[in-house]
Amino acid sequence: MLAEYFPILVFLGVSTMLGVVLLGLGSLLGPRRPSSEKLSPYECGFEAFEDTRSKFDVRYYLVAILFIIFDLEIAYFIPWALALDTLGTFGLFAMVIFVVELVIGFFFVWKKGALEWE
Amino acid sequence: MPIIEITFYLFAAVLVGAAVMVISVRNPVYAALFLVLTFFSAAALWLLLEVEFLAIVLVLVYVGAVMVLFLFVVMMLDINLAPLKEGFIRYLPAAITVAVVMAVELMMVLWVRGKFGSEAFESPVPHPPDYNNTKEVGEWLYTQYMLPFEVAGIILLVAIIAAVALTLRRRPEAKRQDPARQVQVKRDDRIRMVKMKSETKVEE
Repeated sequence: MLAEYFPILVFLGVSTMLGVVLLGLGSLLGPRRPSSEKLSPYECGFEAFEDTRSKFDVRYYLVAILFIIFDLEIAYFIPWALALDTLGTFGLFAMVIFVVELVIGFFFVWKKGALEWE
Repeated sequence: MPIIEITFYLFAAVLVGAAVMVISVRNPVYAALFLVLTFFSAAALWLLLEVEFLAIVLVLVYVGAVMVLFLFVVMMLDINLAPLKEGFIRYLPAAITVAVVMAVELMMVLWVRGKFGSEAFESPVPHPPDYNNTKEVGEWLYTQYMLPFEVAGIILLVAIIAAVALTLRRRPEAKRQDPARQVQVKRDDRIRMVKMKSETKVEE
């Protein structure tokens, strides 16, 4: 069984080696003549006005968290779909209850207007 | 099969190294990226244990979704690192106490199971090539472990409600479009005919 994964291991090894070799060769052989102008954030244009880190609206997190929750819900569907023919009615209703629980959540989110982008 | 052991030690070494880097690099963005590497190595180790479904879910959910959220938070939040480091010496005794307690607990769990090393845990039975781990998970999860499964659904529901309750903010001052009202608009709502007398010359 694990032997089936051997090509993936070879791919992983080759890609890691390729990355290491390319970066290593570049840093070994490439000319390096730093100057203050080269190291400045922009060679031309404005100086940076402020820090990259700045406070932003909390609603972006809401979208990301809702995405993770429904992503997890979908992950539960995969083994269920594969095993459905042996699960029978009991397994079907186990998933129906689960989906009803999350549809309640979905309608809550919808009615609260959390999916709206004002 | 020495190649399995070589692969295991390779990924385990990468995992431990990346986990050490998570707590030692200065830039929080790099720490989050090392955490991605840690999760990925853990997924590879799970794959060695022939639990494909969990390994792929780890990559999909943690690497794909949770770490994106982490990076998002770390890159966007206004974290000033200097005040965070001020309390390092002051909190060091408490931190060492917590670390020792956790390490002792981990050791005790391992000692209860037997001794250290791979012989303490039975290695998984090799499965035939047509064995489907995901299907096997499904056959147990939705019958034998149905109650924990439904409780997981309730926990997700609570998480949805908590996320909405904590972060949903109304912004009454924001201007927005209502497409339904836009298409329902009548001519008379927009145009008002005004009767005016025609302009007359002002007598001087």
